[in-house]
Amino acid sequence: MDIQSVLQLVINGILGGGVYALAALGLALIFGVSGVLNLAHGEFLMLCGFVTFLGYDRLGINPFLLVFLIPPVFFALGYGFERILIRPLALRKEHVRLASATLVTLGAALIFEDVASFASAGTEFDKSIGYFIGSLTVGSVVLPSLKLIIFGLVLLLMAQLAWFLKYTYVGLAVQAVTQNARGAQLSGVNTATINGVAFGLGTFLAAAAGALEVIHSSVSPLVGLPLTLKYLCIIVMGGLGSFAGVALGGLIIGLSESIVGYFTPAWGQTVAYLLLVGVLLVRPKGLLGR
Amino acid sequence: MRLRAFLLPGAVLLFVLGLPLVPFDARVYVMQELTLLFLYAGLAQSYDLVGGTLGYINLGHIVFFGLGAYTVGILFNVGVPLAAGLLAAIAVAAAFAAVVSIPFFRLRGAYFSLATFALVKLMEQIANNLRGLTGGSSGLKILAENRVVPTYYAMFGLLIVAVVTTLAINRSRLGLGMKSIREDEAVARDFGVPTMRIKAQALMISSAFPAVLGGLFVWYINFINPAEVFGLKMALQPVAMAMLGGSGLAIGPLLGSTFLYGLEEFIWTRFEHLHGAMLGLIVVLVGLFMPGGLARLRPVERLLERLGLKEDDQ
Repeated sequence: MDIQSVLQLVINGILGGGVYALAALGLALIFGVSGVLNLAHGEFLMLCGFVTFLGYDRLGINPFLLVFLIPPVFFALGYGFERILIRPLALRKEHVRLASATLVTLGAALIFEDVASFASAGTEFDKSIGYFIGSLTVGSVVLPSLKLIIFGLVLLLMAQLAWFLKYTYVGLAVQAVTQNARGAQLSGVNTATINGVAFGLGTFLAAAAGALEVIHSSVSPLVGLPLTLKYLCIIVMGGLGSFAGVALGGLIIGLSESIVGYFTPAWGQTVAYLLLVGVLLVRPKGLLGR
Repeated sequence: MRLRAFLLPGAVLLFVLGLPLVPFDARVYVMQELTLLFLYAGLAQSYDLVGGTLGYINLGHIVFFGLGAYTVGILFNVGVPLAAGLLAAIAVAAAFAAVVSIPFFRLRGAYFSLATFALVKLMEQIANNLRGLTGGSSGLKILAENRVVPTYYAMFGLLIVAVVTTLAINRSRLGLGMKSIREDEAVARDFGVPTMRIKAQALMISSAFPAVLGGLFVWYINFINPAEVFGLKMALQPVAMAMLGGSGLAIGPLLGSTFLYGLEEFIWTRFEHLHGAMLGLIVVLVGLFMPGGLARLRPVERLLERLGLKEDDQ
């Protein structure tokens, strides 16, 4: 195995991990603020992938333009989702609220999945935009430019998120509620609104990941729940409440899938879950959890 | 308990036990449906020991079902009789529960649910990859004759054992410890409740039922594959049933599984499309408007009281 293939594997792993981390960050944001395990998270990714595909396929809009146009709509969708389905549960006892939220988001996931399957009956099941840009060659390494652009977009979105969380009032409020909801409320933060904003933002990130996913890979109506599960792995592995941990977790899973998958394809998908159990044995709070 | 408390359970018992004696072809369909209903109810009931009484939402309950199914299936193929296979399944599941309880029960609340959910996928992948042992994704086949009637009785018997176990635990010292952990774990620990030991015990007890059910399932169906016994929908269904019926009450999972299973059948036979979406809608509505589940709805509560089946709800 030469240096060329090793580099190729590492690059693919990092690029794949970037998209994972983006969507997982959204889920982590939602979980951090509301404490809700949003089982419908992956469905928003799938839905946005679908809409992006339709926009490209039917209307002929450039997919990279769609990446900027469609996910903001999903912010509103996520906000509405929280408003209608999650907020009414707020006053229940802790373990009852957890159970209710699990039911509600699971039910929503089933609805999204089934409606999308129904809508795509008679068309191809895996939606994919076969977008093609010539590869770059640096020395002896071939760089897939499409994936590089996507990775660039992922970094841009993450930087924006970091800026938002650090320098805006709403972003700081999101962090405050994540750390201590009661304390934030006592300091005058409107926690109900912040919950909605967190859902909106998280859904926005999932949608962006979905749009990117459909450009360089494919999206089918059934990917939602399995993807949600993978993001949960990433979050728990990185450490709940630590956004750097989520990025690290995404990177580790992307890399391990790419490298292990190269040698033994069958174990490529397994390694994420094995790693998670391994990490939990050594550090129950995740890699960067406190 | 007064005499009338035995009326409804007695009637159900008579019907279920007598059904295989009815000499009509029609009963075959009803029995198949009931067998699966008992399976789901048993899973939901045993899930609720951890999910309802202990307050830890274990989304990986189905892992024990799959482990049991594979243990019995593999042993059966090398000539081990079913009873020994089932005992082995219990041992494997309980040992697995004891091992995973150490890292997993250090996690609280939703963290625990996340990790146990990931365990389902891990087991599916492992079963897919250990081709020599499990047959991989093409599945495991066992050779057995027609087992409709024995499975039907066995699953029903197991369900009754699960309900009785739940009732017994609810009244025991162990149950009290479990409930104290559910209400406030830190306080319970400070008062000297051995939380880690109780949580491990609860998980081990609750793992035995799905293990046996899994063993009976493979014996009944004669074929299993990882996507089926470790499937995500399979994992979430018993949880949804228990919550829908009323988590933490012995009657809850029974009500929930009967209701959801019946509803599913109704939807499947009446409508052509969008079964999953309708089911999802029901699940959403239950989560939104019935936090305590069916068993804690006023009219249902009153009915249960009249029948003498109302439990202490603490």
